[in-house]
Amino acid sequence: MATDNANADGFGEVSRVRGIVFEYLSLGASVFGLVALGVLLVYVSIDAFDLANASPVWLLTYFLTLVVPFLAFCLYSANDPAVTRRALGVLGGGLVAVAAVFTAIETLLVPIPRLNWQLAYLFVVGAPVTAYLTYVGSGERVGAVGFGFLGRLLGGAALGLAVGTLFLVFDSLVWFLAYTLGVVPAVALYAFGSARSVPQAQTAALPAGLLGVVAAVFLRGVVPTYPSDLLIYLWTIAIPVAAAGAFAVAERRGRTAAAVVAGVPLALAAAGGFAAAGAGLPAPTVLLVLVLTGVPTAVYVSRVVDAGEGLVGFALPVLLVGGVVAGALIVEALGVPAPDPWLDPSFLTEAPSQTPTEAGLYPAIVGSVIIIAMVAVLSFALGVGTSVFLEEYTPGSGPLGTLTRIIQVNVANLAAVPSVVYGLLGLGLFANLLGLGIGTAVTAALTLSLLILPITIISAQEAIRSVPDDLRRGSDAMGATRWQTTKNVVLPEAMPGILTGTILALGRAIGETAPLIMIGAATTVFRAPDSLFSRFSAMPMQIYVWAGFPQADFRYGVVAAGVITLLIILVGMNGTAILLRNRAERGN
Amino acid sequence: MSNTTSDDSLITTEVQTESNDESAPPAGAGTAVAARDLNVYYGDEQAIDDVSMEIPEKRVTALIGPSGCGKSTFLRTINRMNDMIEICRVDGEVEFGGKNVYDDDVDPVALRRKIGMVFQKPNPFPKSIRDNVAYGLKIQGFDGDVDARVEESLKGAALWDEVKDQLDSSGLELSGGQQQRLCIARAIAPDPEVILMDEPTSALDPVAASKIEDLIDDLAEEYTVIIVTHNMQQAARISDRTAVFLTGGELVEYDDTAKIFEDPEEQRVEDYITGKFG
Ligand SMILES: Nc1ncnc2c1ncn2[C@@H]1O[C@H](COP(=O)(O)OP(=O)(O)OP(=O)(O)O)[C@@H](O)[C@H]1O
Ligand SMILES: [Mg+2]
Repeated sequence: MATDNANADGFGEVSRVRGIVFEYLSLGASVFGLVALGVLLVYVSIDAFDLANASPVWLLTYFLTLVVPFLAFCLYSANDPAVTRRALGVLGGGLVAVAAVFTAIETLLVPIPRLNWQLAYLFVVGAPVTAYLTYVGSGERVGAVGFGFLGRLLGGAALGLAVGTLFLVFDSLVWFLAYTLGVVPAVALYAFGSARSVPQAQTAALPAGLLGVVAAVFLRGVVPTYPSDLLIYLWTIAIPVAAAGAFAVAERRGRTAAAVVAGVPLALAAAGGFAAAGAGLPAPTVLLVLVLTGVPTAVYVSRVVDAGEGLVGFALPVLLVGGVVAGALIVEALGVPAPDPWLDPSFLTEAPSQTPTEAGLYPAIVGSVIIIAMVAVLSFALGVGTSVFLEEYTPGSGPLGTLTRIIQVNVANLAAVPSVVYGLLGLGLFANLLGLGIGTAVTAALTLSLLILPITIISAQEAIRSVPDDLRRGSDAMGATRWQTTKNVVLPEAMPGILTGTILALGRAIGETAPLIMIGAATTVFRAPDSLFSRFSAMPMQIYVWAGFPQADFRYGVVAAGVITLLIILVGMNGTAILLRNRAERGN
Repeated sequence: MSNTTSDDSLITTEVQTESNDESAPPAGAGTAVAARDLNVYYGDEQAIDDVSMEIPEKRVTALIGPSGCGKSTFLRTINRMNDMIEICRVDGEVEFGGKNVYDDDVDPVALRRKIGMVFQKPNPFPKSIRDNVAYGLKIQGFDGDVDARVEESLKGAALWDEVKDQLDSSGLELSGGQQQRLCIARAIAPDPEVILMDEPTSALDPVAASKIEDLIDDLAEEYTVIIVTHNMQQAARISDRTAVFLTGGELVEYDDTAKIFEDPEEQRVEDYITGKFG
């Protein structure tokens, strides 16, 4: 204090009022958007899960069996008395505050529709505290193990479903031939080349693979008999995934452990696949889900067990499943009426319908997943190619430099062209001129790729430009060709930034409706697309149509369920891409 | 380019017959690099003004001179890194390995594989230490024992003992001085004939700098080292020959280091060295 006074006397004071005002205005601006979005999400979730009809007892039961154990797990993992005290304080204090404020608003101002104070408490206090504790808990060993385990279980299942969905439209027989004739020989050649240090074999790998793939396309109609789909997926996906898992373990633990860690999930997945075939279930998808869940999980478990730390974390999935089961049993025993969510398994697996309770999103989900997969590949390849060319290969002056600048300006302008215009382009160019068909999945994928291409290009250019020139010069001075510098130094350094841009752009593409309407995509289809040229619908299209239905159940419940599904798929997709990006960052 | 050494004798005799005493290399060493009537322009501005000099093989040659006098430009003409600068134009010849490197049939990429370069600011790649050192081998398709070569180069750069247990950690995690030695290891790994260094110690503290100075001494047993420096004592300590450039890109005096620092011919050089000018 003494020094403060001395300073105040000695130097006078500098006003910080404007800075403080600015700081709070900025805070307000950033909070405004988030709060608006938060309110929307709250209402959409309430509608989708029919929470407005959930009785307080029902809510309390699940809060106690599911949320509280989860929070306890996170607190145990964080193992920090200060965090525990703060969390309990917020949970308790929030309860009183929310209840009081909520009742005050309802009695003094306006009634708040479809919300009670218990729900408000869950969303306003429960959700943020859970998110915060998840973040804190996952930073420590026990939580990291728990969430890593859970993530591999869920992520593997989602990946399996996505791959299964892609094979609805991609010809599995061509893939079988391409894999057998192209991928296997190429990988074998490459492995042989690096094991025996025969560079010729390594160089030959790529042409050999391409040759095999081309041969596959021609042989598709010639080969008379094929194995069943189940065997194809076993041979082309399950076995390589297991082999990769075994490889990862073998380096650390030796052959036997590798065989066990990869072999057991593979055997289980195969058994599950054949059992599903017997029971009339979609056997290939069952196989894919089991193997893509099982192998990564097994590898992870073996790694964590070896490290020997945070083993308690493996209890997390048990805790969650146990919580759900216990909650269901208690609710059943007490005879509490349960809400009837719109977003239930049948919503995800059924076709649309005229009756709200039977309406499903399955064909639109499949359509969206297929389109997004194609858009991701196309826009990434085209975006990286263009930006590398513009940044690394073109001179800054001369006629070519002028051309580059013209392209540059136009790319920036294209980013601002409304999406309806892209729809028109897609209709004219792809659907009519190239004859890819009106409202087909390829046309949609190509159109959406063009739509987000400028964004991908600009962000990739930005990422490439931010690679320090020092590194390029260092590589050039070593006698690297331009291509070697680009491949070995520039692209690895720029990859995280490129991926960030692509992720953002893909998020934009998955929610687009206007261009899809323009290219004549169906608003509602009743069967999932089974080829690239069949008619399809996408989630935003279907949601849009539902929103126009006369029945209130459609406009609230079904639409809400659709929106939540769309968001979950979007978040899952972005999450995967972000994980990949972080991998790429750490790889450096 | 493996016939370089056999060609050297040829250049040497040729050079000796047509050059004056001052720029002749010291006895017992061939010429590694020779500039002839070299002029370099950036657009209309001239950065190197009619420079001719022969740089002896397996010796340390220092280039000194005030800022902006064209030392870095001269260095970059040797491995044609100036090609990367669009407005840069080179006139005259730079002979290396019996060939004018500016001849049409010289591939600058192949040339740079024979000439290592170390920059002012350490610029290791954001890769592991091992991958940094092996970079040149990788891009040249080296098919021998990479690990042995990495170890040998790190030892050559006096870095091995400090990093041998962390070859897989990132090169960026090293200190500035270690990073610079890593860059030297990277430059010598593909076994070049000449190493160019542009103020390699100016971003380092005196201890790290003196380590690199010792290292340069050792390097000269195997390689021709051409080093740009602003530090007179450094030039005097480590170099065998010193070239003094003055503003305008003029090579004012080029002689044995001892002669330059004790008894320069030119008054301007004496002024520069004693700090009266520049
Ligand atoms: N990329 C460039 N574009 C245009 N002019 C340049 C470029 N590089 C150097 N020059 C000019 O060429 C001249 C010589 O520059 P150079 O970098 O070779 O000097 P230097 O002797 O290395 O100086 P320093 O000791 O400061 O590094 C300077 O006048 C500089 O302005
Ligand atoms: Mg310089």
